[in-house]
Amino acid sequence: MRILTIARNALRRLFRDRSNIFFVFVLPIALVLLIGAQFGGGFTPTVGVTAPVGDELADRLVAELAELYQIREYEIRDELVLSVERGWVESGLEIPVRFTDSVLAGERPEIGYLSQPDTSGQGVQTAVSATLERILAPITAASVVSETQGIPLEQAEVVVQGVAGSVPPVQVETRTTGEALFPNLGQFDLGASSQLVLFMFLTGLTGSAALIQSRQLGVTRRMLSTPASTRTILAGEALGRLGVTLFQGVYIVAVTLVVFRVNWGDPLGAAAIMLVFGMVASSAAMLLGSLFSNDQQAGGIAVVLGLGLAALGGSMVPVEIFSSTMQSISMFTPHYWANDAFAELVRRDGSVADILPQLGVMAAYAVVLSALATWRLQRAITR
Amino acid sequence: MTNILLVEELERSFDDLLAVAGVSFFVESGETYGLLGPNGAGKTTMISMIAGLLEADRGSIRVAGQPMATTSTAAKRAIGLVPQDIAIYPDLTAKENLAFFGSLYGMRGAALNARIETVLEIVGLRDRADDRSDQYSGGMKRRLNIAVGLLHEPQLLILDEPTVGVDPQSRNAILESVEALSTDGMSVLYTTHYMEEAERLCDRVGIIDNGLLVAEGSRRDLVDGIGQNDTVHVSGTGDLRSATEALRSAEGVVQAAEAHGVITVMVDRAAGRLPSILATCGEAGVSVTALDVSEPNLEAVFLHLTGKALRDET
Repeated sequence: MRILTIARNALRRLFRDRSNIFFVFVLPIALVLLIGAQFGGGFTPTVGVTAPVGDELADRLVAELAELYQIREYEIRDELVLSVERGWVESGLEIPVRFTDSVLAGERPEIGYLSQPDTSGQGVQTAVSATLERILAPITAASVVSETQGIPLEQAEVVVQGVAGSVPPVQVETRTTGEALFPNLGQFDLGASSQLVLFMFLTGLTGSAALIQSRQLGVTRRMLSTPASTRTILAGEALGRLGVTLFQGVYIVAVTLVVFRVNWGDPLGAAAIMLVFGMVASSAAMLLGSLFSNDQQAGGIAVVLGLGLAALGGSMVPVEIFSSTMQSISMFTPHYWANDAFAELVRRDGSVADILPQLGVMAAYAVVLSALATWRLQRAITR
Repeated sequence: MTNILLVEELERSFDDLLAVAGVSFFVESGETYGLLGPNGAGKTTMISMIAGLLEADRGSIRVAGQPMATTSTAAKRAIGLVPQDIAIYPDLTAKENLAFFGSLYGMRGAALNARIETVLEIVGLRDRADDRSDQYSGGMKRRLNIAVGLLHEPQLLILDEPTVGVDPQSRNAILESVEALSTDGMSVLYTTHYMEEAERLCDRVGIIDNGLLVAEGSRRDLVDGIGQNDTVHVSGTGDLRSATEALRSAEGVVQAAEAHGVITVMVDRAAGRLPSILATCGEAGVSVTALDVSEPNLEAVFLHLTGKALRDET
């Protein structure tokens, strides 16, 4: 029970530090979202439009574009230009007044298109052109038929529609060649697992500062004056650190599962990775807490180590795009094995049995780090 | 009376430094025992061994009949330690701190909650029980520090310089709490370098210097032991050290020492010696700004026994 009391206290103190609310709750999810956005799939560009009121073809064009993009309408051209310049919309479309009349009169009205040269507005331009083509081609054809055959435009439109229905459509066949770098991966899947590994370790490691504070305050020594043995205190502190890292992991899994529908693979496998990697992170935190006597110094080192190992272990950029030398170096970090285990579960539909080697390497890390930490901490608190 | 604490031939070194050198003493049940000595005398090292935080190199400690060592859980159950540091979590409330430490003593549920209310009442923090302790004043933190030590109703309360760095009002509140506990029959081991606290609180006092227990007894016993010498405190500016040296060889002076801008002089009868003390100081280039004469007290005993002044360093 005393072990649980000490462990529970570590969790309680985690929530008392207000800065943790940002680093534990907000930042991980924001990064998952950011990485997911980079991988594409969920981003819908916004197109700004100025269009004449009550113009039939202009309305049709805007309605069709609205099925592809978010549309923001502007009354004044200057406002549209400003919005494009400031990046509030990805691109802007200026439909001239009397657009329908001009088209029907056989004129070639000009539609203004605005975008920044380095944004997704370039891609939107292609879609706008295709939509215009689709809307205007039958009308232009009907106009030609009306003129050449001397029949009213409405009748010509019916003729054109009938012909269009009898022409077989062009079929586009898509075939995949080569091997995809990240097969079976949803938009947020890669970011979620890599950020889980990064933040479990980082949050666990920064917990070393709390361990040092307890020593600095004399609370650890006071605990030693109670019937709690040194072993109980160390076990309680270790369990507390593990609780903190597991909490971080479970939080990220829960939120990404519900909000982004992230695929975490075999639940048992994911739980095993989190547990063993959590043990690595908490042991590392205990060791760091035993090596330093200044909490601010340890906090700084924890951030550098946490981010450095995460970068090296493939939690910021996938190891698949590392050079072979860097991939070999990466294997010395526990992050590599955690990321690799998640890749096995998520990308290759693996099970617990498939990730046993990765779990074994991480367990070895945990054993070595916790042995070192126990030895150092025992010396530190009983000196 | 039975001994709640029995210390025999206790010794502890740190590398070449002999911090505690074969100290023996006992505390009877219901007694308040003071360890009086200057900073660095070895008091905290001794307390660390008595509280089971530090192993002794030699000697033995028994608390409530149980041998005390770093691994002794039974003996640790009998003590309540109030360390010199304010050893509480600043980000927890008073209640949460008390509940945490209470759990370490195996206390649970309603009994723990009731006891928390009681100790908060004793130390006068009931109104602020749900506030985080980092919002407390220094004196309030000290009182919470004491409350933690009292929580499990220990047989022996060990207070290691509990009034260091607190304002006079809080100090008085702490001393009143200790007096009340003592009146209720709790055994107390109290370390201090404030002579006034030892005189006010303690049934018996052990004077410690350089890791040695140089004298022990009730205030009356200790004072009687040095005769009817008066103590003169001379405050002034100038070369106090030379003046002290000169006073040591002056007629009627038993002992003289200087600390923190004050020369403490022990003389056989102050009334007849004041002119010569002033003259000696003047000859040594000291301009005297204040002169204070007091009857024999523990400070005089300390000066007599160690040749050093025991002064408040705050």
